[in-house]
Amino acid sequence: MIRPRPEATATGGVRIRGLRKRYGDTIALDGLDLDAYPGQILGVAGPNGAGKSTMVKILAAETVVDDGEILVDDAPWSVDIGAHRVAVVHQEPQLFPNLTVGENVMVGREGTRWLRRDLRTQELIVMRDLGIDDVRDRLLEDVPLAVQQRTEIARALVQDARVFLFDEPNSALTEEESNDLFRRMHSLADAGRVVILVSHRLAELVRHCDRVVVVLDGRTALTLEGEALTQEAIARELVVVTATGDDRVRTAHSAGATETPVVELHGWSHRGGEFADVELTVPAGRIVAFVGVEGSGARELVRSIAGFEPGTGTLLVKGVSTPGGVAAASGFVSADRGASLFGNMSVGDNVVSRLDTEITGALSSLRRGRMRSIASDIRATFRVKSPSLGTPIRSLSGGNQQKVAIAAAVVKRPAALVLEEPTRGVDIGSKDEIYHLLRDYAAEGHAVILYCTEVPEVFDVADRVYVVSDGRVSEPLDVAVHEDVKALAAAITRRERHQVPQTVA
Amino acid sequence: MTSTASPQPPVTTSSRAQDIGGALLRVGGVFITIAIVIAVFAILSGGKFLIPANLLGLLRYASTVAILGMGLLVVIVVGEIDLSFGALYGLCASTMAVSWIMWDWPVWLALILTFAVAIFWGLFNAFFTTVVKIPSFIATLGSGTLIFGFTLLVTNTKTFNYLYPEPGITLEPSEVDFFRGIANQALPERFPMQAVWMIGIALVFWLLLSRSLFGFRIKAIGGNPEAARLARLPVRKYKVAAFVICAMMACLAAMLDFSFIGSTQPSGGQSLLFPTFAAVIIGGASLSGGRGSVAGTLAGALLLAVLANGLALLSAGPFAQQVLLGTVTIGAVVLDQYTNRRRKAA
Repeated sequence: MIRPRPEATATGGVRIRGLRKRYGDTIALDGLDLDAYPGQILGVAGPNGAGKSTMVKILAAETVVDDGEILVDDAPWSVDIGAHRVAVVHQEPQLFPNLTVGENVMVGREGTRWLRRDLRTQELIVMRDLGIDDVRDRLLEDVPLAVQQRTEIARALVQDARVFLFDEPNSALTEEESNDLFRRMHSLADAGRVVILVSHRLAELVRHCDRVVVVLDGRTALTLEGEALTQEAIARELVVVTATGDDRVRTAHSAGATETPVVELHGWSHRGGEFADVELTVPAGRIVAFVGVEGSGARELVRSIAGFEPGTGTLLVKGVSTPGGVAAASGFVSADRGASLFGNMSVGDNVVSRLDTEITGALSSLRRGRMRSIASDIRATFRVKSPSLGTPIRSLSGGNQQKVAIAAAVVKRPAALVLEEPTRGVDIGSKDEIYHLLRDYAAEGHAVILYCTEVPEVFDVADRVYVVSDGRVSEPLDVAVHEDVKALAAAITRRERHQVPQTVA
Repeated sequence: MTSTASPQPPVTTSSRAQDIGGALLRVGGVFITIAIVIAVFAILSGGKFLIPANLLGLLRYASTVAILGMGLLVVIVVGEIDLSFGALYGLCASTMAVSWIMWDWPVWLALILTFAVAIFWGLFNAFFTTVVKIPSFIATLGSGTLIFGFTLLVTNTKTFNYLYPEPGITLEPSEVDFFRGIANQALPERFPMQAVWMIGIALVFWLLLSRSLFGFRIKAIGGNPEAARLARLPVRKYKVAAFVICAMMACLAAMLDFSFIGSTQPSGGQSLLFPTFAAVIIGGASLSGGRGSVAGTLAGALLLAVLANGLALLSAGPFAQQVLLGTVTIGAVVLDQYTNRRRKAA
């Protein structure tokens, strides 16, 4: 879709000059310049740690800037402007899990009356447009991630802010849901607001943005617009720092695959009814992906293989069915980084956090030297971008944190490595690196099991794909017939959304 | 990115030095405060504060708080809280007194019973926290009250003294000497035996927290319980261990004080609850879990002992003591948050 691109208004919008920010030894922003005009969508691309999220945080007054100039509608930026005129839709919703969806939309805007008010008509309209008015009385923590994200979008919309920052807002949404979101972004821009989209998906940036700024190492490397704005142009700029080896991707595919089953499921059903009668095996050396939208049962199925969701029937991991045996032979990495990393510990300690006898000597004393050598090896193979092993994990960028989260599971060498959306909110360079690492791990004779919501990406990494819809698992699809399968799976995911909207909501 | 591809031992060494430097700075802050407070008391008391007998008495009190504090520290680091150890201190002293003096049990058997009672209540707290899944704040608030009730029951609200037992009861002199010897030894310079215990226990706890898998894991569990669960760390096992360790430290502190003072009372230990918490928090432990150190706890215990002793010496009265204790605790946490924010922003 090519929409008419309005002329940039000469004044107004967001103007950023020389933005600088350091976290300890890490330089997040190193003199970033950026202009976003009202009525346009500005795309921001860049690898992990390039400083994109830091810029978003600074604009929204979530962190303090070290140096630089920001103008919002020709007025100098202030904390007040950041808090009230800038709205952020985060990649991981930052809301109140203990309140209902409706309360989340209106929290902070309740007014000063003694009695709490009901939702206003305008808020209800926004919620209905987003399809979340039916679930407004459910607790946020009880609704799927996709709904939580839409709640955050609704919150931003009802604030009627001037500047809308979308920080990887659709990384966990289906194609259908994303398209809906983009339509909303366009209408925001058409209404004369400033819309900034931070994304790793080049196709989306090219399709929806009027201009795209490529950020590298905390600086603006390139601004693309008009004819020059193509996926190739953005990718060319990003490739400067990210070694993409597409040939290696193909050759490594399914290398070392055998038919020895690592995971076997017979008549495997969820105790809560999320999936039923699953029959399949995952052989050693293979990467198997389960694709399905929220509520399809795919997430629960994948979690159950790691022993984190209760099931009935037979689950064998390495031929063992006892909970202890399953636990010993599998490793799990959650989609939520907040549930896979220890924020109070360093990068190095996070990497070895799952080990026991590997890092202990007599009387379970820690062997610090061994911990360091294991962690520094892993840091090298996973190309974790951190100043040192002692760096606090929190100071790393999202993509690097994700690498550490996966590394912590891999270093334990489970026979079955189970990951939920392993590349959610991760840039292209790191994505490819993570795929290579997963493929290498599978090639060593392990089974790798993924839960994915992004259909096209599954084919970059998986050998075999199962589409889960309404708790039923499809026949396995082989990636050998690449293009056909891609179309098929996308169709299934879409169809499923139309058939069972209540499970999606 | 290419530069990070090679292992960098020099960088890790310097970061380790930074860690140690940071820890020293934190503990150092408390020690500087202690030095200033000592100087103020020395001047105000006209030198009386610095008399060796006074300093040694102070050290003895600090030892009790430190031993209780190290037990509590383990529970706090693993992300839980224990409000029952003060009451347990009283129950342990009373159990020892009743079984040894009233029931005429041999001293060693009475000691075993006392520690068994402590372990039981540690497991009790752990059960309600990790199996029934009641927040530990509530579970231990309840068990603390329960324990105090049991203390009143077994003692019949009486106090006991093993040096001067009730008429008609005679204790084996060798047993009295043995029990007295636990906390009373003729050490050079009249150094308190309780401080020797404290130093030994501190060494063990330092090894446990900084040099063992136990310490590494409880920091992880306290830092992010959900991540610990998904990483399959044995969360329950470590929490049970933490509660039992805390209970055993309360028991040990009670035995040392009973041995030294000679007498027990049912409410003994209740007044130690707040100073111990204050010591651990002043020492840099985070009530949200995952952070805390032995050195900090020792420094915190020493600061509280100095304050309590100095104020008593100046006859400041209980009002001033309580007000200062509260102020110092809140002040220490504010300072800690401030330095943390500075460090994160740096």
